[in-house]
Amino acid sequence: MTGCDVIGGCPTDYVAISVAIISFILLLLRSTLPFLIHKIPRPKGSSFWLPTIQIMGSFNLLLSLVMSLNVVRFHRRHWWQSCYIWAVWVNGPLGIGLLLSCRLIQAAHLYSVFIKKRLFPVRSYVSLPLALLPWVAWAGFLHITLPLNNRCHMGTQWAVPYMCFPVLYTAALVCITRAIHHIEFKFHELKDLWRGILVTVFSIGAWVVLYVLHETHEETMWLQVTTRCVLLVVASFLVVAFFSVSFSQPLVSAISLNKKESFNLKTMGEALGIHDSGLFSQDDPTLDANPNEPLDKLLLNKRFRLSFMEFADSCLAGESVHFYNEVQQLDKIPVNDPVKRIYMVRHIIEKYITTGAPMEVNISHKTRQEILTSPDLAHPNLFRNAANELLQLISMNLAKDYWSSVFFLKFKEESAMRNVDHELQQVNSWKNSPRLSSVHCPNDPFYQDHIPRDPPSHNGHGSCLV
Amino acid sequence: MLDTVVQNMGLLCSRHKRGNQATTEENDKAAEIERRIEQETKAEKHIQKLLLLGAGESGKSTIFKQIKLLFQTGFDERELQSYTSVIHANVYQTIKILHDGAKELALSDAGSSKYDLSIDNKEIGEKLSEIGGRLDYPRLTEELVQDILKIWSDPAIQETYARGNELQVPDCADYFMENLQRLSEANYIPTKEDVLHARVRTTGVVEIQFSPVGENKKSGEVYRLYDVGGQRNERRKWIHLFDGVTAVIFCAAISEYDQTLFEDENKNRIMETKELFEWVLKQKCFEKTSFMLFLNKFDIFEKKVSNVPLNVCEWFKDYQPVSTGKQEVEHAYEFVKKKFEELYYQNVTCDHQDRVFKIYRTTALDQKLVKKTFKLVDETLRRRNLFEAGLL
Repeated sequence: MTGCDVIGGCPTDYVAISVAIISFILLLLRSTLPFLIHKIPRPKGSSFWLPTIQIMGSFNLLLSLVMSLNVVRFHRRHWWQSCYIWAVWVNGPLGIGLLLSCRLIQAAHLYSVFIKKRLFPVRSYVSLPLALLPWVAWAGFLHITLPLNNRCHMGTQWAVPYMCFPVLYTAALVCITRAIHHIEFKFHELKDLWRGILVTVFSIGAWVVLYVLHETHEETMWLQVTTRCVLLVVASFLVVAFFSVSFSQPLVSAISLNKKESFNLKTMGEALGIHDSGLFSQDDPTLDANPNEPLDKLLLNKRFRLSFMEFADSCLAGESVHFYNEVQQLDKIPVNDPVKRIYMVRHIIEKYITTGAPMEVNISHKTRQEILTSPDLAHPNLFRNAANELLQLISMNLAKDYWSSVFFLKFKEESAMRNVDHELQQVNSWKNSPRLSSVHCPNDPFYQDHIPRDPPSHNGHGSCLV
Repeated sequence: MLDTVVQNMGLLCSRHKRGNQATTEENDKAAEIERRIEQETKAEKHIQKLLLLGAGESGKSTIFKQIKLLFQTGFDERELQSYTSVIHANVYQTIKILHDGAKELALSDAGSSKYDLSIDNKEIGEKLSEIGGRLDYPRLTEELVQDILKIWSDPAIQETYARGNELQVPDCADYFMENLQRLSEANYIPTKEDVLHARVRTTGVVEIQFSPVGENKKSGEVYRLYDVGGQRNERRKWIHLFDGVTAVIFCAAISEYDQTLFEDENKNRIMETKELFEWVLKQKCFEKTSFMLFLNKFDIFEKKVSNVPLNVCEWFKDYQPVSTGKQEVEHAYEFVKKKFEELYYQNVTCDHQDRVFKIYRTTALDQKLVKKTFKLVDETLRRRNLFEAGLL
């Protein structure tokens, strides 16, 4: 009667399996809960696929360990239960290989965007298979040479080269992380990278030891059982600790899951701390909007911009105005802070420029390609052409209808009411302080557009006395 | 419209609360409001929804403008004036596209000097290109007009224009260049024809309501026409309009068989139109919707067919020219029409048996033709209504 160390089913095995199941559920919760709680729409493109593939890889890894280590009691009758499928293919290329390759590609993206200041030139659906190629080649080689015995053990002379792969990939990750560690990331990307590396190194270390023990002492019953159990537990721990959203969805990683304390998903401008990127405050200047003034001057005023945005949204043409708004926020970031600029640029490109983006704007092919293949993402004039094109579009298309719309009437009414209040306020404070404008001018040197438009009652307190 | 009515009714109600004495008054008013709301809802049901769909630059907005001219009050002087800046913008943009295009072609065609501007015109060209890249265009002065005409008559630019299908040259280029002197006059007010030629990409959705038989709503149908943008990013907004549509007017510019998209210079325009038409046909909400296919820009098609063979487009690669001149044009047109018909019937299932499908040859700039075409469309839709009501 073969003991449970050979065919599986020992009590520790069941403990290990439950740990694996719990950790996978935890992983799923971690990845989907922010989206469910805050009703964030599903992201598109590689920011959705890379994390999803990571989750699939984690699942494959755990499943392959369960099947190949004889943790569960079953008879290997069918071809799909064969050792090679699980221990070689699902474990290698489809399991740990996928996990490490995805993380490597994410790190490469970060390197490309923040150090080289260009978008990563290779699309993910090409770079991921490329990264997996060594794993696939090795698995193929194993499959041809057939070194596994009937207990799914491959022997030390095969196990050691097999371990080289995760070690190599982790080394590559370490190199890339070292190259980018001086960047001040805003959304814990570096922390997550180091955590991932640490967890992987620890797991690989533990793995090597346990695997070797497991393979070499095939006869010691208690050793087999313990190493098996510990291997599965270590893999479960790796899978949960390795996952992070900050690479693909930085804003999501910034919100807390506690509904009470999180502010409804911030915009990227707010998350980066760009002054004045939220909804308007009491201090925003009012504007005597005159249809004969050029639209770009009028749009500099925040209240007007927001009113115009509302109008554009109502005719389903809002994305141009939102784009213009976010480019304005980008312009407020100083040129000597390239990291913040690159975050904002990346956010704008993903939201407005890439084909199929959620708020894709109506620009020509040339302009789009210029942006997507730009050699310097931090360049101050990156979006100049696109903004000009769209402003042309807005002024020839929407502006005419705006002046005769309900939104403009509302804006005029509100301005009139605020002017009355403002004048009363000004009259009162005149009595208190003659240097009016210095009291009202904010000290932030980057707050460039707050040059107050003087209502007719003032006499030339136009410039800020800083 | 209905909710403004309701809002106004609400104001009416809140302003007239005057205690018990007014109770009967209130009741009367309430009854009146109920009656009006019912009337409006009934009237809404009689409003037929028409959608103008199609790829970018297929002529939807021109048809929209024509309908405004024909069945509404047309353009008043202020509105005509507002198009001046658009027309001037078109002129500057055309020159910029041609000038930059000439430079590009000169680079790719490194051997010949066909696309090199003459020395005196180079500077003018750069200046005009810079103006074309600005946000605010200067008014067309006499001097600028002279410069533009010099550039336009430069052989390099004419050669570039001949290869205009590889660039994004608007169709109105010819017309505006011919009329440039008139456009630059100090007291210039655009004519209806100028307004129809003016090119502006539509973004978002625009709607008008009109009745083809004068202002008296009772005797004619009331149509609500929606115009949309045709570029790819605009199409995701179409879905908001797809409910309860009486008829889809799909515009396909048949003269564009050798041109590429504005938003993707690797895709042929007719291929895009073909795919788009298929997509629209397959929509669930259009099972009972009538389809009017406008094969537009026939005037440009006529002129192009003799110079550029139809087979440059993949969809038309099995075209065999049989003769020349007018006969050839007709033959080519019939070929294209047949292709669209085949496409329609390929995408029809048994759910769509009763659906009306008609093809019309149009030139959106020709007012008489659009009027005639629309009358036919109107007749078809009325007949369809009677059929649905069981009276036919």
